[in-house]
Amino acid sequence: MFAPQLALTLLLTPLVSAVLIGAFFRRQPAIAKALSLTAATAIAVLAGQLIFATEDFTAAAEWLTIGPLTVKLGFLLDPLSKLLLAVVALVGLLVHVFSLGYMAHEQNQARFFGCLSLFMFSMTGLTLADDLIMLFIFWELVGLSSFLLINFYFERPSAVAASKKAFIVNRLGDFGFLLGIILAYWAFGSITLADIAARIGTEPSVVATSIALLIFCGAVGKSGQLPLHVWLPDAMEGPTPVSALIHAATMVAAGIFLLCRVSVLMTPGALDVILWVGIATALFAGFTALGQRDLKRILAYSTISQLGFMVAAFALGSLVALKSGADASLAGITGGVAAAMFHLTTHAFFKALLFLGSGSILHGTHHEGDIYRLGGLMKKMPVTFITFTIGTLALIGCPFLAGFYSKDAILILAYQHSQPAFYCLVLGAFLTAFYMTRLWTTTFLGKPRSEGADHAHESGPLILVPLIVLSIGSILGGFAWFYPEALRVVPDAALALLHGASDAEKAAASTAMIAGTAAFIIGAVLGALLYRPGSARDFLQTRLPVVYQLFEKRLYIDAAYDWYVAKVQQRFALLLNYIDLIGLSGIVVRGIVAGGTGLAGLAARAMHTGSLHNYVYWFLAGAVLLWAIATGVL
Amino acid sequence: MQLPFDPLLVAILAPLAAALALLAPLPDRAAKVVAGLGFLLPALLGLHTWWHFPADLGGADYAFRSLYDTGLRGSFGIALHLGLNGISMPMFMMAGVVGLAAGLYAIQSKAERPRLYLALLLIMQGGLMGVFASIDIFFFYFFHEFALIATFILVGVWGGRDRGYAAMKMTIYLTLGAMLSLLGLIAIYVKSGAETFDLIALREEIAVHGLSGTVQNYAFGLLMFGLGILVSLFPFHTWAPLGYHAAPSSVSMLHAGVLKKFGLYGFVQIALPLLPAGAAAWAPALAWLALGNVVIIGLVAIAQRDLKQMIGYGSVMHVGYGFLGVACVNALGAGGVVLFMVAHGLSVSLLFLLATSVHHRTGTFDMDDMGGLAQKAPVLAAFFLTAILASIGLPGPGLLNFWGELTIFMAIYAHAQWMVVPALLGVVISAIYGLRAMGKVFYGQPSAAFLKHQEKNAVADLRWSERIPALVLLVTLVGFGVWPRAITEPLNKTLAEVYPQVEAVSPTPAAPAVASLPE
Repeated sequence: MFAPQLALTLLLTPLVSAVLIGAFFRRQPAIAKALSLTAATAIAVLAGQLIFATEDFTAAAEWLTIGPLTVKLGFLLDPLSKLLLAVVALVGLLVHVFSLGYMAHEQNQARFFGCLSLFMFSMTGLTLADDLIMLFIFWELVGLSSFLLINFYFERPSAVAASKKAFIVNRLGDFGFLLGIILAYWAFGSITLADIAARIGTEPSVVATSIALLIFCGAVGKSGQLPLHVWLPDAMEGPTPVSALIHAATMVAAGIFLLCRVSVLMTPGALDVILWVGIATALFAGFTALGQRDLKRILAYSTISQLGFMVAAFALGSLVALKSGADASLAGITGGVAAAMFHLTTHAFFKALLFLGSGSILHGTHHEGDIYRLGGLMKKMPVTFITFTIGTLALIGCPFLAGFYSKDAILILAYQHSQPAFYCLVLGAFLTAFYMTRLWTTTFLGKPRSEGADHAHESGPLILVPLIVLSIGSILGGFAWFYPEALRVVPDAALALLHGASDAEKAAASTAMIAGTAAFIIGAVLGALLYRPGSARDFLQTRLPVVYQLFEKRLYIDAAYDWYVAKVQQRFALLLNYIDLIGLSGIVVRGIVAGGTGLAGLAARAMHTGSLHNYVYWFLAGAVLLWAIATGVL
Repeated sequence: MQLPFDPLLVAILAPLAAALALLAPLPDRAAKVVAGLGFLLPALLGLHTWWHFPADLGGADYAFRSLYDTGLRGSFGIALHLGLNGISMPMFMMAGVVGLAAGLYAIQSKAERPRLYLALLLIMQGGLMGVFASIDIFFFYFFHEFALIATFILVGVWGGRDRGYAAMKMTIYLTLGAMLSLLGLIAIYVKSGAETFDLIALREEIAVHGLSGTVQNYAFGLLMFGLGILVSLFPFHTWAPLGYHAAPSSVSMLHAGVLKKFGLYGFVQIALPLLPAGAAAWAPALAWLALGNVVIIGLVAIAQRDLKQMIGYGSVMHVGYGFLGVACVNALGAGGVVLFMVAHGLSVSLLFLLATSVHHRTGTFDMDDMGGLAQKAPVLAAFFLTAILASIGLPGPGLLNFWGELTIFMAIYAHAQWMVVPALLGVVISAIYGLRAMGKVFYGQPSAAFLKHQEKNAVADLRWSERIPALVLLVTLVGFGVWPRAITEPLNKTLAEVYPQVEAVSPTPAAPAVASLPE
């Protein structure tokens, strides 16, 4: 089969599954599961074919032409899309398997698996897109799938609110994204990534910076960066497999992928903004995680924080490349792209592992998610404990595990570019170790503090096998040899940073490594000392209640949004509605109608006294009269 | 395929003949079949004209042309001249499809005096087909009035709450709008010196002699306010939400979906090509008012508690995009308006249909008295969500809406850069009211009022008699969204031939030249 047809088959398989489930098998969960799992397996097989047996290619067919505007439906397969495709296919398949076990006793399983297939369709489309419009279309579609899965339990008001929030906040980001696309079209005459790369000027201009920042708005929404991060923690209302697949490993990372895709558009001005948004997000979310008690919420803030690391990595690496005058092109993988995508990959392993692990905990404890009501799970759920520990160690940067290497690459880039960024990110690494240790000791050590935790039982093989597979990725994902030849471009480029080419770079690499390891050790030890296993109360809450409350309330950003929506937006809308009802229809327009327009006004006033039928009769009479005069009857 | 009859004339006359037949004392079942055929035939013929639209047709030409002298030709230059070009064909097809859905929905509805109700709807449908099939602008106007009168009666007699006031208000506004438009059309007729209402002849005449700037200015002004009132241009929109709310659902579908497009279609087919300088002069004012539609009415839609009223305001908000496309005064904007009109017609009529299905199950349009309907009617919830997402232009169900809006946004940016920002705000605003409605009606737990309603009334899921009309609309919408070229290829040709004068006044800016790419 030719490569474009292969890609098209890959793309359409999950869509067919979703449509079939939606149209015919809503009431047959067994068939729905089989279809969805088959589609996920087919994606994995076809993705393997694309990754290992297909040369990089780009192919496009005309979709819409109107006047001078042409939109094409096209695919772009290159190292970047291959890597993300591998992540999506692998994590997607594992989450499908996990869901078979996790969702076994739920209602509406057919809907769940149908939406999962819809998501796989949207995400693979996003991965393979070759132009901005196609990226945007699938970007919206992953948002839709995410919406549908967050409100899977749509009888719960909290799930409904969370899904609505997710969709609207994302649309806010997409507002900027779409504006950026429109600007890019008029600046470069095309929305195809390759065309834009070929036409971009070397001199950064205000337009280029605006385009870069507007497209970044899309990433801010989808990847939970400040100030549009508020939807992601709430999105944990969805079933846990969804949190793992969509809200940790793939969709939220799409923002990072988008940045890497449009890296040629970046200018120093835009990158500075992107860098500090990323760093601020990484730190903010790290602190906020300390004030949360819900297992999945803590992990969600951790995801936001790690996405901040990726955004910062992209900006840092691109700034370093710009400074050194490296050739920026679509094919070239700069240090920023490599570091960001490498962290995306390792993060997909260990964060999916942690979410699925927390799913296993929820499954085993009858949905007890409050870490201070858990405890003592080490003995009751040994496999979950071991895999979760591996995921935790990988996340907090324990040497020789996956997260250590990918985070190290980011710290090296920061050290090379700017000291303040470097210190902030080291602090971020420390916070990661600190809050994850809090989570880990409280959940697994000590004694069970609730009935659910007391009666916890280990999950079945459908749940445990994905955990074990992801653990392997979390352990080995930091080594280049772990990746097949076809996927090694990005890890190689990222790991090259660790070795350093010149003496100065070597020195930077060792300093960053020492700092990163120190942050890991200090964070973990301090966390273990302060958050004693078995304690039912939070250390911070008892010692520094004011600070704790600040973190618990997420620095009051969510509250500010709620205030704006309820007190400003809604009131303004009601005011306008009132003006519309009273002012416009009552006074202004009626005044114009009655007074201003002569004949029409007269007719209108006459109508006030007449009835509807009068008008009809007058019209008919007039028409007959006109006809009679014209044809010479009269 | 050559049909043994004139498809356009039959598409206009079939519903009218069916309406007449309904006045005969037929058995109920036969009456329904007759009405069904009266709605089915225009839809099939609409699809026929699209499927068999000649690929080699010149851009300025019309397909399926025919001319019937009604006796007015000698004295006034009026003749029933029918035909379709790339601009009217998509509209003609859309009118047929929406008519079929509205008709099927009306046939299964439990309206009082059902035969008269169906007969009036069929009259409306006949008029609608005539609007888009007419090359003669007198008949273009005449068919619109024809459909409008049926609308007034339908709202006044079969309407819901406040029907008397709503019908009166609609009548006043729409009559005023129609009068102003007629004055504008007559001004073109008189000042062109062509002594005919035939659009082709008018176009040729004006291409040679042109209209003076003054004439163009006042004629376009008349049309702008006349057609603007008909399409609910801010601030002349207040009749619309009220009227749609009072109207029976099939009438809302036909009016908001199709009849209202008369105005925007009039801009694209007649006003812009014939009066480009006038359009350019009025464009800034039109754009400002259109932004009023998008932003102000969008926010008003957020404040609505009543589902049908909200859909009405949402529809008023979205036609703002149509006006913005017109205000660009170039072929790109006009092309976007045509795509937008087809998409909006299909999606807004789908919303009105489903809103009535919601009402059948909850007994109210007040969203605060609903809630949790998805638990009882998941299929209805799925359809409604699809319709909401389509109407807010989400690529997927609303791919065609997205293409229309995208094209218009692109045109607006080229026309006046800053204007794209408030226009794009609509993307966020529509998501807010759409999803809020979805949450209030379908998700969460049932409200106390709805629980009380359920005690006495069993709530069933969407029946097939409701699903089929909804599917007719949905399949058409998604189909053309996935394959927009089916519409845009003839459209591009026509725009290329009809819009040179417009482009001469206000050119579509060329995107930067395409450099040859390294292979």
